[in-house]
Amino acid sequence: MEKEPSKKDDQNQGDQANNSSLVQKIQQLGQSNVPQAPDSNIHVLSIIGQVEGHVQLPAQNKTTKYEHLLPQLIAVEQNPKIEGLIILLNTVGGDVEAGLALSEMIASISKPTVSIVLGGGHSIGVPIAVSADHSFIAPTATMTIHPIRLNGLVIGVPQTFEYIDKMQDRVIDFVVGHSNIDGEKFKELMFAQGNLTRDIGTNVLGEKAVEYGLIDGIGGVSHAMVKLNEMIGDNNEGTEEQVIQ
Amino acid sequence: MLYTPLSTTDIVPSADADFQKRQCVMHNGKQLYVEEMEDGQLQVLQLLSTDPNDFMNSDYLPGTILR
Repeated sequence: MEKEPSKKDDQNQGDQANNSSLVQKIQQLGQSNVPQAPDSNIHVLSIIGQVEGHVQLPAQNKTTKYEHLLPQLIAVEQNPKIEGLIILLNTVGGDVEAGLALSEMIASISKPTVSIVLGGGHSIGVPIAVSADHSFIAPTATMTIHPIRLNGLVIGVPQTFEYIDKMQDRVIDFVVGHSNIDGEKFKELMFAQGNLTRDIGTNVLGEKAVEYGLIDGIGGVSHAMVKLNEMIGDNNEGTEEQVIQ
Repeated sequence: MLYTPLSTTDIVPSADADFQKRQCVMHNGKQLYVEEMEDGQLQVLQLLSTDPNDFMNSDYLPGTILR
């Protein structure tokens, strides 16, 4: 007789715990469970908000911290179970060197990579988008191409100007080297007047980005998956041939 | 009243206290960006992973309380 109430208590406690976790889930996602998927050979890297570099941004900013992403990219390269990588971009840009570091990492990964620009892939998002083996842009997405800017206190103006100018050349060289856009065209877009109100640069819409050769194609998730699986297939065939030889 | 193209955060920087509450922790082999709440519990802000299945795992949903 004595045991029963304690059992009930346990059950009650268990129920309460279940209920509270259920309530938590409903509060977080508005639903009680999430669908389970089988193991994936394709990993996803999302670059969202601002690309955070040497300076930590205020806590309310949504940022992508490059020091978090670099080890993940190494893990993708090392893990034999991972066969491909999709890079999702919806970024306003950010730190140039952090963005270039990410771009160089993605470009040097030996596994097939596909990027999708959703919403926006502005400023330093441009080199990140083109760093993948194949790039897609959603029809409604845009990419702002503009000269590099610096705010804050500048000590040694001429030197800083030289430095920024060279940094801009690094961005231009990377984009031209990893996409089909002509260098002169990219510079023209970067320094164009009258496109952005009271500013120089161009806001390139999805279709235009493809037309200029900046991005490889218009598309979304399904296009990216088809392309990536195709590239993984080619990759696997290549390794099989090597084994036979 | 401010009339400026700058964002409010550029003019009025947030307190350092906001940052001190946030940290990166390893939990069951997964890297999580968490915020310490007032009662000392850790709440998940962001899951740092490239595995899409990790995002399906309800233990790592943003807002989940770790301990």
